[in-house]
Amino acid sequence: METIISYLNNMFAALPRTAQMDGVKQDLLSSMEEKYHELKQESKTENEAVGIVISEFGNIDELIEELDIPVEGEENKLLMLAPEDTFSYMAAKKKSGFMVGLGVMLCIIGPALLILLNTLAEFGFLKGVISEDAASILGVVALLILVALAVGLFIFSGMMLEKYKYLHEGFSLPYDLGFEIQHRSGAFVPTYTLSMVMGVCLCVLSPVPVIAWSLINEDSTGYGVVILLLLIALAVFLFIYYGNIKESFSFLLKEGEFAQEKK
Amino acid sequence: MISSDVIRGYNDTFILYMLLDGESYGYEISKNIRRLSDEKYIMKETTLYSAFTRLEKNGYICSFYKDETLGKRRTYYRITPEGLAYYHDKCAEWLITQEVVNKFIKEL
Repeated sequence: METIISYLNNMFAALPRTAQMDGVKQDLLSSMEEKYHELKQESKTENEAVGIVISEFGNIDELIEELDIPVEGEENKLLMLAPEDTFSYMAAKKKSGFMVGLGVMLCIIGPALLILLNTLAEFGFLKGVISEDAASILGVVALLILVALAVGLFIFSGMMLEKYKYLHEGFSLPYDLGFEIQHRSGAFVPTYTLSMVMGVCLCVLSPVPVIAWSLINEDSTGYGVVILLLLIALAVFLFIYYGNIKESFSFLLKEGEFAQEKK
Repeated sequence: MISSDVIRGYNDTFILYMLLDGESYGYEISKNIRRLSDEKYIMKETTLYSAFTRLEKNGYICSFYKDETLGKRRTYYRITPEGLAYYHDKCAEWLITQEVVNKFIKEL
């Protein structure tokens, strides 16, 4: 059966991958498969069965004549994206956005934790638990661990996208797939806008705790700074995560910053 | 074996005939054509599927999916009223063709 599948794949290798083409190929395969199994049931050998199925395949040109093969000059030479690849690219991009966002968040939480520990120690909240020196060492260690984790996330997400590097060399999207992505992109706009608005608000409001705290207690701006950093971390995560999803749409649809790649 | 050149113009007719009694799918149609012709004519896969494409484009048949057991999906075909009309035209055409060709066939 493998021989038949690879024979069919070879026959279709040079043809553009349109939805119609995929459908016909699928139908041909199931038809050939059924014939093959029937021949096997008639106690034909593997070779005989494969031989008969292939000899009754016919001529691919006959099929090409009937199918609407898109001839759009240059566009035709570009790689035609398959739905599976497209959706797995979008999923990878989303996941990588999540990981990078998380990584950056950890990088910001690190110093926040350090400041928090120092401030707590400074005000004697940690008395009896650890000394002031130990608290700052603990803070530094925690910061380093978080940064290391973040770097791991960055590398991992980079490697995940490595697989899709070939897309940057140009591709073309089948009409139906483009339509679907356009649709999804449209549906994503409200979510994206909301996340950007929230991110900007968080950034704008982030100094508020510092100001508020200094009004209440002039000695300890530390807590205010910790909250400021956490708010910024959250905002940055929103920017990166939703930005990445947005970017995957723009990239596939060749919009905005990716428009010039169209040529 | 019949040469495919001779029969080319009637592949569509064969397929439409197979669909007269109800919907069917690729392999079943090709198997039935083979059986009805007493194994004298085997329609090639590409001939069958290019005919499906052509017939569907002309609105003579319509296709739909049907789920089979084991999660497999099969494309089924059904003849349309236009297809039926076309089939009758082809039958009439064949009668004349046959009449004409026969005039030039000499039994040896």
